[in-house]
Amino acid sequence: MRIVIAEDNVLLREGLVLLLTSDGHEVVAVAGSGPDVLPALLEHRPDAAVLDVRLPPGFKDEGLRAAVAARERLPGLPLLVLSQYVEETYAAELLAGGAEGIGYLLKDRVSRVGEFLDALSRVAAGGTALDPEVVSQLMTARQDPLSALTPREREVLGLMAQGLDNGTIAETLVITERSVSKHIGAVFAKLGLPHTDSGHRRVLAVLAYLNAGARA
Amino acid sequence: MNALLKSAADGTVRLIAALRTALPALFGLPVLLLFLVLLPLLLPWLPQAVRPLRALANAERRRAGRLLDREILEPYRPVRGTSARQGLALLRSPATWRDVAWMAAHGFTGTCAGVVAIGLWPGIPVSLSLPLWWWAAPEGSQSAFVTIDSWPKALTMPFVQAAVYAFVLVWLVPRAARRQAELARLLLRPTRSTSLTERVEELTETRAGALEAHGAELRRIERDLHDGTQAQLVAAALRLGLADRRFDTDPDAARALFLDAREGVEEALTQLRTVVRGIYPPILSDRGLAGALRALAGGQPIPIELDVSGTGARAPAAVEAAAYFVVAEALANVARHSGARRASVTVRRAEDRLAISVRDDGKGGADPSRGSGLAGIRRRVAALDGAVRVHSPDGEGTTLDVDLPCGS
Repeated sequence: MRIVIAEDNVLLREGLVLLLTSDGHEVVAVAGSGPDVLPALLEHRPDAAVLDVRLPPGFKDEGLRAAVAARERLPGLPLLVLSQYVEETYAAELLAGGAEGIGYLLKDRVSRVGEFLDALSRVAAGGTALDPEVVSQLMTARQDPLSALTPREREVLGLMAQGLDNGTIAETLVITERSVSKHIGAVFAKLGLPHTDSGHRRVLAVLAYLNAGARA
Repeated sequence: MNALLKSAADGTVRLIAALRTALPALFGLPVLLLFLVLLPLLLPWLPQAVRPLRALANAERRRAGRLLDREILEPYRPVRGTSARQGLALLRSPATWRDVAWMAAHGFTGTCAGVVAIGLWPGIPVSLSLPLWWWAAPEGSQSAFVTIDSWPKALTMPFVQAAVYAFVLVWLVPRAARRQAELARLLLRPTRSTSLTERVEELTETRAGALEAHGAELRRIERDLHDGTQAQLVAAALRLGLADRRFDTDPDAARALFLDAREGVEEALTQLRTVVRGIYPPILSDRGLAGALRALAGGQPIPIELDVSGTGARAPAAVEAAAYFVVAEALANVARHSGARRASVTVRRAEDRLAISVRDDGKGGADPSRGSGLAGIRRRVAALDGAVRVHSPDGEGTTLDVDLPCGS
């Protein structure tokens, strides 16, 4: 894939370039500050972009804002946002324009090289990758609406919200794919969500439900 | 007419009530004078001797404060040392001499005013009835300083006198009652210099508290980084070193060590995030106080009504961090203890202060002296010279009001 990287820390940037090129990807551009991100994305139109939330000049959420702006200009552009910490608000802002091809991960996850590359290719393919910590933040905050679920169903919902497909969920929990879809069916029924198969829709539906819980 | 009568009656009641302090002041004066004469001998007993004087002055502070509808604070500051030293300090304290001045002034004027006010009311009917019995009085009766010895005088003077009494009652008595309270305030309130001294002492105390809290915070951060993160990283580096040595001979073991090392690094990162969040929440620098509070409110298990429209320009980082932690702690308390179904958070910038209010509709009864969360809030706010008020009647929910100076 052709990839654009926006990261101001030289060490981490070089690390990412090394990691991605060694996996056979091509890094077509790197941006070191907020204002450079959007032009780089518009010029190269990459297959995916990896963005840091905090970028110069202000070291606030320039990367996140650039990501939101880029999605407005190039709808569906796959973006994987990396952050030093997780913040529900950021996840909600990223996903507001649709969950297809959106990822939001803690920077730590890069060290799990395999999982990181999986997440990136999932995002590039139009899927979703949410950090488990974002999901657990959402889940603990919205304890109430989830009280009807069994512990296993809650586990499945958590993995589903991260953007994993049934196969991967089955592997993670060491159960059969059939029982995964059974659990998912039960979760949807209990939460009153319409049943769909595609991964990002499920994330979107779950998020919409969880966010609705916050407003009600 | 009714209103005039009422204000006259109110004034009288107040002047009579003032007798409760005026009479002891009057009768205490000779004792006080005697004490002052013998002062060189009695100096060590001065701390005991001022007690009744202060009790009397405090009673007057409460009375006059109620009347003026503004609290009159005590000007006394604690004295330390041997009783002679305390006596000397009391002798030098302006508060003592102002109390004495008040005692003399109030003893005379207060007693006179009270007695006159009592006498005026029956005085009117007595005056008006004078034409009926003046001739029976043995040596002639006085009215309006005139001896009544003829009918023309008897039919004019008592009415003049009654009119004067009525005028005094209606016009002078209410004003006298007010002047009396104002005199008490003037003499008994803390002077500018004593309130400044008090303020300096208070600031010294809160500054000491702030330094203490800051020191404890630094030690905690150091401990967290040193015992947690740093140790984790050392262990990870150690594993990498071991893995390097075994790489050629035992690749499987080396691989296991690599994985261990990675886990250690991840653990260290997680701890580091917690430490950073404890120092200064990253969302605060990203989004400012309003944005950070919005994020905080969104993550609560119960709906939070948030009003941060009045936060204005950015406050100093320490104030914003304190405000954030106060709201976070308060909401955690609400979620944990109150049983509330909803809560509201209001943050306003009024001039150079940040006013925070957190309300819930829970079961109330929060005790600031017990809850560790509330104690933490108090410490944090006191360190910034702010104020905390907790209003938590049983069954009526809890309101926490915090006032933080922005130091501009």
